Amino acid sequence: MSDRRRNALVLLVVAGLILASAAAITAKTTRLGLDLKGGVELVYQGKPTAQSKVDSESLERAITIMRKRVDQLGVAQPEIQRSGASEITVALPDVSNAARAQDEVGQTAQLYFYDWEPNVIGPDGKPAPTEATVTGGEAAGSAQTGLAEYQAVLRAAKRPAILRKSDTTWQQRCTPQQVDGCIYGSWYLIDTAHEKMLCSAGASICAPEETEQNLYSDGYRPPPGSKPEAVRVNPGTVLVQARPEEEANGKVTDQSPNSWYVLNDEPVLKGSDITNPQQSFNEGAGENGQPNVTFGFTSHGKEVFQRVTKEIAHRGQEAQLPGVSKEAALQHFAVVLDDQLITTPSIDYTKYPEGIDASSGSEISGGFTITSAQNLANELQSGALPIKLALISRSQVSATLGKQALRQGLLAGLAGFAVVCMFLLLFYRVLGFIAVGGLLIYGVYLFALIKLIPVTLTLPGIAGVILTIGVAADANIVIFERVKEEIRGGRSIISGIATGYRRGFAAIVDANVVTFMTAFILFALATAEVKGFAFMLGIGTLVSLFTAVLATQAALGAMSRSRVVTHPAALGAARRGAGWRFDFMGASKWFFSLSGTILLIGALAIGGKGLNFGIDFKSGTRIQTAFIRPVSEGEVAAVMSAAGYPNAQVQKFTNQSVGGTGYQISTKTLRPEALDRVQAALNTKFGHGPSVPGTKNFSSTSIGPTFGKTVANSAIIAIIASLLVISAYIALRFEWKYAVPVLIALMHDLLITAGVYSLTGREVTTATVAALLTILGYSLYDTIIVFDRVRENVPRMPRAAFSQIVNRSMSEVLTRSLATSFCTLLPVVALLLFGGETLKDFAFALMVGIASGAYSSIFIASPVLTHWKEREGAYRSRRARIMRELGQVPAYATTAGGAPEDVEPVQRRRRTRRGSLVAPEDPGEQLSREEFQELVRDLDIEAQPSDQSSPSPGRTDLSTVGVAQRPVAQQPGQDAQERDDPAARDAGPARDPAADLTPEDLVLKDEPKRREKRRRPRNRRHGRSR
Amino acid sequence: MGMLGWVITGLAIWHFTIWLPDRFWGGIVGALVGSLIGAVVVGLIIYGAKVSALKVPGEKATDIAVVLYAVPGALLGMAAVYLEGMRRERHSP
Repeated sequence: MSDRRRNALVLLVVAGLILASAAAITAKTTRLGLDLKGGVELVYQGKPTAQSKVDSESLERAITIMRKRVDQLGVAQPEIQRSGASEITVALPDVSNAARAQDEVGQTAQLYFYDWEPNVIGPDGKPAPTEATVTGGEAAGSAQTGLAEYQAVLRAAKRPAILRKSDTTWQQRCTPQQVDGCIYGSWYLIDTAHEKMLCSAGASICAPEETEQNLYSDGYRPPPGSKPEAVRVNPGTVLVQARPEEEANGKVTDQSPNSWYVLNDEPVLKGSDITNPQQSFNEGAGENGQPNVTFGFTSHGKEVFQRVTKEIAHRGQEAQLPGVSKEAALQHFAVVLDDQLITTPSIDYTKYPEGIDASSGSEISGGFTITSAQNLANELQSGALPIKLALISRSQVSATLGKQALRQGLLAGLAGFAVVCMFLLLFYRVLGFIAVGGLLIYGVYLFALIKLIPVTLTLPGIAGVILTIGVAADANIVIFERVKEEIRGGRSIISGIATGYRRGFAAIVDANVVTFMTAFILFALATAEVKGFAFMLGIGTLVSLFTAVLATQAALGAMSRSRVVTHPAALGAARRGAGWRFDFMGASKWFFSLSGTILLIGALAIGGKGLNFGIDFKSGTRIQTAFIRPVSEGEVAAVMSAAGYPNAQVQKFTNQSVGGTGYQISTKTLRPEALDRVQAALNTKFGHGPSVPGTKNFSSTSIGPTFGKTVANSAIIAIIASLLVISAYIALRFEWKYAVPVLIALMHDLLITAGVYSLTGREVTTATVAALLTILGYSLYDTIIVFDRVRENVPRMPRAAFSQIVNRSMSEVLTRSLATSFCTLLPVVALLLFGGETLKDFAFALMVGIASGAYSSIFIASPVLTHWKEREGAYRSRRARIMRELGQVPAYATTAGGAPEDVEPVQRRRRTRRGSLVAPEDPGEQLSREEFQELVRDLDIEAQPSDQSSPSPGRTDLSTVGVAQRPVAQQPGQDAQERDDPAARDAGPARDPAADLTPEDLVLKDEPKRREKRRRPRNRRHGRSR
Repeated sequence: MGMLGWVITGLAIWHFTIWLPDRFWGGIVGALVGSLIGAVVVGLIIYGAKVSALKVPGEKATDIAVVLYAVPGALLGMAAVYLEGMRRERHSP
């Protein structure tokens, strides 16, 4: 296919995709994340139960069940996804009541049915079915006859371990040492001095923990004067909370009585044995019309239910002794939901002597309100969660705040796009127009993809999009600089464009692959908040590869015959620039010293000031709110103090998103109920009665310590994984010795950024981690551009010292390196200026990192590579030879005439099928001088068969133009030897004792040995292809 | 945090090896490895001696003095690599 046809086809595809994208954009809605829309985000950590361990299967089952529950809540576009090894993130847009959402989504809802009397444990640690003081007798399971939790724990602790084959403790062969994450019983912390329970947040009821360490996991310290003791309740025994107390009319008066029973943990039925649970009412003769939950049974459930109720009835009949009332003799059946007794109905042996036929179902009644009965029915419908879920983070964003964030994000995006376009137009003129066109197409495609996939657009996601504008523009810059270079080098416009794209492509692919890999690792390992950013960065990188390379090449190719681009000036390539003639390697000593000094200052800052870790890492609760009337910091602090948080930090801030002046309150991690209390206290204090709450645009983020550790660990893993993958890629694409300087440069960038963060005291958040990982990618982008040119120049300069090769490479790519960095910085600055509070820290880290990355790729990575490569024998020999010949190693390898030393390497020629040399792209176009010379060299016209000493074709005769043209006077010994030895003369010139490698020897491994392939028999057809 | 401070200090000091003749065993990269290992190991030893336990100082325990524990280690590490480089140079044919 001819180039013209290919370009037309590509442009046709591009146009078709634009139309399809436009259709998708108009037809589909954009899915906005919580931070842009408002809502609640809950992060749960899965914890094992005696019946189920935390693994992929149990987490997936839990997610399925949670999704059903969320659907029952009627939430539009919820997102429930696994995050990390054991976390589940639930994002509920447009939900304002975080507490209710939390209750309904994360409730374990593990329902068990117990035969009551034989399983209630007495004071001696054994069942006491006949003791009413233990079982509660007629009032079985009531709050009046239970034990205080402290006493119940002591009673339960007397019980030996009873392992059942259905339990994970048995299946995993767990021991009391609890190694390998095993569950072996449950732990409680008690204060033996005051005979009470000890638990964090001052709660009166303490939930059991899986391990002894977890008792102190919230940084909990027992109060002074207490005598803490960790007590284990062995497997096979469970504490259940008594039924809530009820008033005479059946209304629940206390949801959490401190009254407990110790049970032998041998349920007869589970929640999975029931079917079709529904909220209903006690209706019929003698019923009180109270809400209840009705349900049916599975076939196994029916059989067990009838058998067990029959046993209970018989037991009641046997207990019916003379003088004992029937009510006192009746035995009970207990329904326990999440370790709380729901009901303990008695089985009337006179009515059901053969047990209750469960074919018509059964009911749970007692103490329900309509809402609580509906909730239970819903939970039973969706099923019990297979594992326990501990809420480790809860964030609530007000809708107003979300809209403001969206406005800021879009403004930053537009500003970033505009400045990048302006830069491209000013710097590249006609090429800039094409690049801007490419960027617009990129924007359309990306937006369509966001809608089609669909991607939930979050604020970090918008940051990712804005950043990819820089990526897309960078690809164009790399190619355009190459095109300009080729044209300035003497190629025709058409040939320059084709060659520029071809030669720039490898560098772009390398750089984009690295960026994509970094994005992938971020996506795989980071927290949900950062995932959006990583996803957009990854997609954007792929799309930009298409638009910035294929689409613009086709457009430029199509335009190359028009008068618009026929003059080099239109492409900004009219004048050969003065070029950079700076001794980069010589000056590297000073730049190294500068970096060392900056790092030393950073190290001292880290020692002196440390890093300001945000609550993402340290855990805690952050509240942002405005008030309906002016209030002072002191007033807010007083409310917090009265609510039990005297150490809360209250800071005033001005932000339109909260309606002007707002306050940020930072405190230790507040449990959801504590957070609700704080909000209520603020509403009451600063509001006008119960109908007008005092706060507005209330938003909060609570991060538990476990989540903070998870974030920190995933960040470290992500950084290490990125470094390893990047190193492997560089080693494969270049050479392993190129990977080490890259790693050093990356380390340099990351640590300098850390030092700057410490110096400025900016907060380190999860977004900062995302920024750091992005810095890895961008720093590499620059380094790859430089190394790619070094790789290209190595075979071109077969007699030059490595420092000379690097100097020349740097001088050639410095402009594009600076241009790409500047172009990437433009959208980052837009983020910094317009991105709002959330994105400012992110943008700051990126700005420092990108600047450091550009600097390190030039002044750190390249000098390290130079130092290391110059230790190799070949380069050591070259340096020795140059020193011997010239007395010093010049910064640049030049020919005697001052031109850069250059041996044209074997060209990557595009060949026709018959193997002839490539023709100019345009048959009507004349060959440039360089192309003509190239053609002549290829045809070996200059080679004289009789001249034994002439260099082989494709290699420049260095005796005439080489940098190291050896003065005869400086090598008398060798010349004398040549004169005296006819054999040596006949054999051609003696090989330099400081033997260089031939260019072919120095071709890196990704450069195929093309020489043999290129050399073809003379009788082949040469010339232009038809 | 202490580890971060030591690594940055080791890396910072390594930058100044550019002024020395390249006789390090493994070249400039060998010097970096020596500097980092020396900084961390000596940092651990000095801090370990101070608190009578071999552990990395956390966020609160890290101050400027702790960060500077890395300086002698980095210098010693690089000196060791340099001496080894010279020894190998002497024995090389």
